[in-house]
Amino acid sequence: MAKNLSGELHVASANRLRDGMVVFLDEAGEWTTRLDRAAVARDERSAEILLARAQAEAFGVVDSFLVAVAESNDGTLEPLSLREKIRASGLTFDAIAAEAVRYA
Amino acid sequence: MALFRLNPQAVQEPALTLANTDDVLALGDRLDGVKLIVLHFPKFTDGRAYSQARLLRERLGYAGELRATGAVFLDQLPFLLRCGFDSFESEQKGFAEALARARTLFSVVYQPTGDGRVTAGQLRLRQRSAVAA
Amino acid sequence: MPDTHFYRYDDYDRALVSERVAQFRDQVRRRLAGELTEEQFKPLRLTNGLYLQLHAYMLRIAIPYGTLSTRQLRQLAAIARKYDRGYGHFTTRQNLQLNWIKLEGAPDALAMLAEVDMHAIQTSGNLIRNVTADHFAGAAIDEIEDPRIWCEIVRQWSTLHPEFSFLPRKFKIAITGSPNDRAAVRVHDVGLRLWRNEAGETGFEVIVGGGLGRTPMIGKTIREFLPKDDLLAYLEATLRVYNRYGRRDNLYKSRIKILVHEIGPEKMREDVEAEYAAMKDSALKLTPETIEAIARQFAPPALRSKRTKVPEVEALKLENRAFALWLKSNVAPHRVPGHAIVTASLKPAGAPPGDASSAQMEGVADIADAWSQGEVRVSHEQNLVLPHVAIEALPEVYRALERLGFAEANVGKITDIIACPGLDYCALANARSIPVAQRISTHFAELSRQHDIGDLKIKISGCINACGHHHVGHIGILGVDKNGVELYQISLGGDVDFGKTALGTILGPAVEADKVVEAVDALVATYLEARQADERFVDTYRRIGAQPFKERVYGAV
Ligand code: HEM
Ligand code: SF4
Repeated sequence: MAKNLSGELHVASANRLRDGMVVFLDEAGEWTTRLDRAAVARDERSAEILLARAQAEAFGVVDSFLVAVAESNDGTLEPLSLREKIRASGLTFDAIAAEAVRYA
Repeated sequence: MALFRLNPQAVQEPALTLANTDDVLALGDRLDGVKLIVLHFPKFTDGRAYSQARLLRERLGYAGELRATGAVFLDQLPFLLRCGFDSFESEQKGFAEALARARTLFSVVYQPTGDGRVTAGQLRLRQRSAVAA
Repeated sequence: MPDTHFYRYDDYDRALVSERVAQFRDQVRRRLAGELTEEQFKPLRLTNGLYLQLHAYMLRIAIPYGTLSTRQLRQLAAIARKYDRGYGHFTTRQNLQLNWIKLEGAPDALAMLAEVDMHAIQTSGNLIRNVTADHFAGAAIDEIEDPRIWCEIVRQWSTLHPEFSFLPRKFKIAITGSPNDRAAVRVHDVGLRLWRNEAGETGFEVIVGGGLGRTPMIGKTIREFLPKDDLLAYLEATLRVYNRYGRRDNLYKSRIKILVHEIGPEKMREDVEAEYAAMKDSALKLTPETIEAIARQFAPPALRSKRTKVPEVEALKLENRAFALWLKSNVAPHRVPGHAIVTASLKPAGAPPGDASSAQMEGVADIADAWSQGEVRVSHEQNLVLPHVAIEALPEVYRALERLGFAEANVGKITDIIACPGLDYCALANARSIPVAQRISTHFAELSRQHDIGDLKIKISGCINACGHHHVGHIGILGVDKNGVELYQISLGGDVDFGKTALGTILGPAVEADKVVEAVDALVATYLEARQADERFVDTYRRIGAQPFKERVYGAV
């Protein structure tokens, strides 16, 4: 895994144990649902440290792992892979909204 | 590793230890006089020893102690008991308490096995014949 | 509310299901308290139907033999509203999946299910899964015997089976009671087909080792005729052989189909028969009283014969073209004259296939109470079925379904697409399935065109696991991932109709997501030019071969 990390940006992610929500590790070592609050590792070495921290904070989450991200000029983070984009931002189509369909 | 036995007085010699790939139907006279058979769960998701246990009890009529070793956790207990195990090695916390409760966790069983429990199907038949009588 | 015409739980069934909820509640508590690791907990939650997907937990609820009372359907709607986001996904395996469940809420959701005699037991994990059946069971005109009686017997036997809860891999059983197989029995781990022999007795053909997934295989018959009262002994024998000898060294080789393939159907038959011979006369033998008691509960509703030619229906047919088409595609003959089986299409143009909101579920329940004896079925094509509708009620049922958005006249047509959840939900996916299905169904929405194209089954899976049955689609679409780009591999010629079960053949290189519609268009155009008389798409393909399709697609793409 190490060689893929070099020079790339990463955040640590997992699913929250109690409700399954997608969460990211922030600088304070807390899990947050907001990608914009995630701690970003900027090189291989800090990515390894970030992952180790995520695994140490495993209580309350399931299966932590690193997500490769891109950062735009204004600091907005976006995962590189489609899978992680979808994890971070939800379905790519409109699910049926709860009460969208009414009948008389 | 802690040992839990339903019959603490039972004789444990001679003993036979089997791998879960051994064919119990091919044991022949190796079973003669055996008082303890130890079956193995390499992982708790590897369920071959359940079939071995039932064949030993129900097909071969083995009546001695039957022990589960390896990855043995309390959530398997209802299944283990129904397949004829009566002795368990486990490191898990709370195992003894779980063992005490395991037989009553499910008041209903559907499958006839060698454990002597009356199945839902048999109870229904009895009820029906009681009504008919 | 009308009485149900299928198995009703008694106190034993109820006790077991509620004890199971209590057990799971305790397991969840132990997990949240940190007493169980995820590794220990995962198989426990899976055997209660709880997956962890991309964004949340998913709860898979069993709908045994696809049969629901309206009370149950309303409760499913209520659970989706209370513990999920107000909708659910009906699957090809007669399950309902809720995609946004919380672990904390799961025991309560299961308790609500138990209130209506339902559960999510064994909808995942390496054990015997929810047993599926023909969705027209008990109403079909060609039926020899209602397969659901046997599904219920198998359901009970398989529930918390002590020996078979840790099999090498999952195990799926399907049962059909009709010569026209609507349960895909040849692509299940065990398929059972009821038939009548020359002596006039009914029994089972036992088919073993079918399956889709990574290595699709068509099942082999290991017994031509099994006396019905030996069903459980034979299944127990089969499962025991599999539990002992199925491969556990390689996840991809662990299904029974690989065992059958490696040792050969002959050896499989020998081993199963030997085990069966030893168990045949055990307590597993089903007594006539046991069978009778269950069969009685499936006694069909007492429908009186009615008019088959109804002036209102005939009139509406003339004035409303959509209704006329709907009668053709969504309404099937019923065994009682003057009645029909109506399929509510969960595939309106552009919608996610198989999804229904809580309000829609309640709407279907209202319709079933008014016009279908309070009964609803789930089909393996991801539609809902109203099994007992009087022909004279068809106009009203049509209008009511139309208000729900479920009156699309497309059953069996090109937009009646089966699609798995794909990359939008599924942690194992390579590519999205639902948006592809939506694009195809929007493109082909025009009904008279669909009816002109005729029967054409498109099935889409987001990865090789084949939950969307792409192998047996007339047109199969499989999502693959190439360097982070979603591509779709197209195959042609799959089928699941009995006697014709066939696996599709890959057409050529995978195409990009935005080219899938064009490719399907090209396939359809090729077919329309080449078809003779009323040949189906797949028949034309079989007659003329892949080449003309290939040229058109890869010329056009
Ligand atoms: C979304 C979560 C799902 C996951 C994680 C999942 C997982 C899997 C896996 C791993 C396999 C391959 C098994 C094998 O080849 O041994 C499989 C097969 C299958 N699944 Fe799913 N599946 C999911 C959803 C569904 C849905 C929604 C349906 C029904 C629409 C479904 C129906 C099937 C069927 C029919 C097969 C192939 C038949 C066979 O087992 O041979 N699955 N699934
Ligand atoms: S086919 Fe693949 S992507 Fe689709 S639901 Fe199954 S496992 Fe997920």
